[in-house]
Amino acid sequence: MKKNQTEEGGTDRRKFLKLGLMTSLTAIAGASIVTNLAAQEEEKEPEGEVIRLLTPEGKIVEVNASNINKYPEALVAPAESRIGIPDRKFVMVIDLAKCKNARKCVEECQKAHKLDDHQEFIKIQLISNNEEGQPYWFPKPCFHCDEPPCVIVCPTGATFKRDDGIVLVDNERCIGCKFCVTSCPYSARQFNWGHKEKFDDKSQPYSPETGVPAAEGTVMKCDFCPDLLRQGELPHCAKACPMGVIYFGDKNEDIVTNGEETVRFSQLINDRGGYRHLEHLGTKPNVYYLPAVNRQFPLERGFNVDEEIVERYKDVPYVKELKKQGKI
Amino acid sequence: MKSNLFKYTAIAAFLVALLFSINSNAQEKDASNYDMSFEFKTIKQDDNTRLLEANFNGKNTEDRKDIIPMFNAEIKFFNVLNEEEVLLGTAKTSKEGIAQITLPENQKYLTDENGNINLIARFEGNDAVAESSAELIVKNIKLALNLEEIDSVKTVLVTAFTFDESGAEIPLEETDVIIYVQGMFSKMKIAEGTISEGAFEFEMPTDLPGDSKGNLTVFSIIEGNEQYGTVIQKKNIKWGVFQQKIKDTQNTLWSSAAPVWMYVVLTILLVGVWANYIYTIINLFKIKKEGQDLELEPES
Amino acid sequence: MNIDTRKRELVKELSPMLEKSSLLSKIWIISLVSIILVGLYAFVLQLSNGHEVTGMRDNVVWGIYIVNFIFFVCLSYSGAFIAGVLHFFETPLKNSIARIVEITTVLSLIIGPIFILLCIGRLDRLYYLFIYSRIQSPISWDIIAILTDLIGCFVYLYLTFIPDLAILRDASKENAEVPNWRKKMYKFLAIGYQDTPTQHERLHKIIRIMSVMIIAMAVVAYSVLAWIFSLTVQPGWNSSIFAPYFIISGLYSGIAVIIIAMYIIRKFYKLEKYITKIHFVAGGVILLIFSLLYGYFTFSEYFSRWFSHKKHDVDLLNTLFSRYFWQFIFANYFGILMPIAILFFKKLRTVKLVTIAAIISVLGIWLNKYLIVVPTLETPYLPIQDTRAEFVHYSATWVEYSLSLTGIAAFCLFFTLILKFVPAIPMSGIIDLEKRKQSKRKKDNQLATEL
Repeated sequence: MKKNQTEEGGTDRRKFLKLGLMTSLTAIAGASIVTNLAAQEEEKEPEGEVIRLLTPEGKIVEVNASNINKYPEALVAPAESRIGIPDRKFVMVIDLAKCKNARKCVEECQKAHKLDDHQEFIKIQLISNNEEGQPYWFPKPCFHCDEPPCVIVCPTGATFKRDDGIVLVDNERCIGCKFCVTSCPYSARQFNWGHKEKFDDKSQPYSPETGVPAAEGTVMKCDFCPDLLRQGELPHCAKACPMGVIYFGDKNEDIVTNGEETVRFSQLINDRGGYRHLEHLGTKPNVYYLPAVNRQFPLERGFNVDEEIVERYKDVPYVKELKKQGKI
Repeated sequence: MKSNLFKYTAIAAFLVALLFSINSNAQEKDASNYDMSFEFKTIKQDDNTRLLEANFNGKNTEDRKDIIPMFNAEIKFFNVLNEEEVLLGTAKTSKEGIAQITLPENQKYLTDENGNINLIARFEGNDAVAESSAELIVKNIKLALNLEEIDSVKTVLVTAFTFDESGAEIPLEETDVIIYVQGMFSKMKIAEGTISEGAFEFEMPTDLPGDSKGNLTVFSIIEGNEQYGTVIQKKNIKWGVFQQKIKDTQNTLWSSAAPVWMYVVLTILLVGVWANYIYTIINLFKIKKEGQDLELEPES
Repeated sequence: MNIDTRKRELVKELSPMLEKSSLLSKIWIISLVSIILVGLYAFVLQLSNGHEVTGMRDNVVWGIYIVNFIFFVCLSYSGAFIAGVLHFFETPLKNSIARIVEITTVLSLIIGPIFILLCIGRLDRLYYLFIYSRIQSPISWDIIAILTDLIGCFVYLYLTFIPDLAILRDASKENAEVPNWRKKMYKFLAIGYQDTPTQHERLHKIIRIMSVMIIAMAVVAYSVLAWIFSLTVQPGWNSSIFAPYFIISGLYSGIAVIIIAMYIIRKFYKLEKYITKIHFVAGGVILLIFSLLYGYFTFSEYFSRWFSHKKHDVDLLNTLFSRYFWQFIFANYFGILMPIAILFFKKLRTVKLVTIAAIISVLGIWLNKYLIVVPTLETPYLPIQDTRAEFVHYSATWVEYSLSLTGIAAFCLFFTLILKFVPAIPMSGIIDLEKRKQSKRKKDNQLATEL
């Protein structure tokens, strides 16, 4: 009897020890899992735009992309932004023969100006010259006209034309009357209808040259990226275009470039028949277009985009045809 | 009993394994599916200094367009002759994966029997990343750019020499050179030619505007030559024909000061209307005064 | 006739309007106040959530608020015009409706600009319009014009109140029923007007000059409002006849609103003795004339666009006749032809029918203004593409509708409150009229005796 008891007692003790060991191991494991997870949450995830880098130890890390404003000095304050970059007259040339609706210009601009998915400073239209011709993709930024109807009608001078040709909006002066939005014949302006969280980001002071952070109840539009121009870089859309559709330069020195090709502006316009859109309205735009001749891509390739974006062109007769034929 | 034990150990082992795997699930990812690519080039700049540039990237084996730059890797630059290696300098790669060092004009190099300089850029390598290096063979060259007006024709004169052992100048043969003009964002090609007998002449176009003061910066560049690398020379000259278009942009509809006639008309209108209002108010006061006088009269 | 006794009689007759409030008027005021309260809630909603709560989006950035603004301001200018014309020509009919016209003017000129304030994105920066003003902008002109006109009409209204306030002040001196605050108010505002010949003369002189000024201001100010649209390049707005067109439509809608106001006040205050059928017939004739003019201008506008069929005009007309087909028919066919049909025939110019014609006209004009503002924004030069679907068309939300109703309710409420303050028919005018009749009779008698 006693032997049995000791044996049983021995087994119980063993069981107890084993149980205790397992419990403690589980507890440790569980605790470390929890702290690990908590630590992961506390670890600062890179915010905003990130770039990936390889380290010499063979690992890939993500770091914050540097601030979009790489000014050597502080930002250009609103009062100073009314004076342009001296001795320049900026001009843009868009080659319609090469555009295939890749929309990289739209996306880069949205990223740089912290726009929502559905806000675009540069829109891609699908227009045709007449009923017989096929339509072509038509990127349309703000034209920064030399006689801008929007500047004329602004009651407070919140939008202004600078000596270097750029038309900017000062979101600290704008009262949101939207007269400029109604008077632009190219529909180039947008309005901030409500409050958005991104407006509260005060990490960089506001400058009309970047338009970030925007303000509720004010107007915004394409600004030819003066912050990049001051650093000798092309605007985001010109840099991003994979086909080199957008040329940008200074009319005074008669040179435009798309990042790869650098040509004389006057030669480009004269050889390729550059024109301005709706010239007869007398706004004197500073964006020239090269006609869609000798197109490099079939038009259908431009519809390799999201369904929602294809829907935006549903009223174009050509798109209706394609839909009927079942191609998109 | 024994199966019980097993069950418990299995569970415990699983938990411990989980613990460790979570730990390694941090932000860092393994770069094992990336091939390292190492490029090396040399540029002789317009002040005759030599720039050595190494470009170190990782290319994704599955997606050739996915290229990640190597950051903070130490690259060593050597000048080699036979077995001898002279360390020229070290540099760390930037966030774009580029490491650069600049060597002054009077830098002495070990040259082989043909007068060529052998250069190597090397990444030492470690357990994770293998050693990478690239080699260049370049010949020292002197490129001169002269802008002169010869017989009232604006000419660009490019002369180029290499040196033999005694330091005498040997004119260059059959080397392509490109002439550029500086623009705000990039350089514009205005001519392409070949240096023969050490010289290349080119007539400058006379309708380039230049900057606002008429200054032009002209570049002559030998690009990516097998023997000489890239050589750049530039010069400034006031050959631009820039004409400031004097446009009257004051007092227009879109300037901050309005056309003068608007101020005039507005003033006339407002003065007229408000004069009338003031006249009315004055008369109202007269009425009031008369009424007050009347009230006081009976009392007096 | 003894002027003083006559005055007292008038006061006795008309003062119950001021002091008593029947059950009907109480219900009326309470319902108006409740509409206004709902509107205030909508306004607070808009202030806190931003303009997202409205139907306006990136292409149609001007909606019902601007339509209401134009509508109310054009009412006021017509009121000013008619008040000025009536006073200038000294017609005997003018007296009964003069006050109604003038009150309409001032009230709509106060309520109109409030709608524009609702459309402004940053109300906290409103004072920028004054310190940073650019005079090249049509909006700056509009602000100056409306402010000047508002002050002018207000002063003019006050000038016409003075004689009546004097009568009320004198009558209430002995009357113990009138509360003290009223007595004090009458005394203060009547500024010692004792109706002496010199005072009378002076007052009528400045009223006459102001009436001319008001007519001039009305023309200038409403042209400036039209120029906000016609000085842009947009199809449908860039029309050379916009300024005269707006003035005519203003006169048309103003007379219609005045007829409606006459009808309501006459019915409610039982003023059949003063506001007679003749007034409605005269009003009907004026409404007919203006509806013909207005129809003519509207026809010229659309006819020349249709005939010359420029591409963007054709696009605009397509929008009008497809998406806005029924609104277009009501505004520009029914809204013009019906009143003409009713008013053309002498037999049909009864009080009730004239008022119905006026109501149709008002609705037609409102829709016409809507069809001027919104369809142009929906058919810009560059087709609306690469924009999300909600941004293409405009449909007003409940916030906008409720605030529009609030505007109308506020108009009615303030009208009612003012009529509790001074009688709807100027008493001094009645006395002047009778004085003139008396002197005319005396003159006739004199002539008869001489002969």
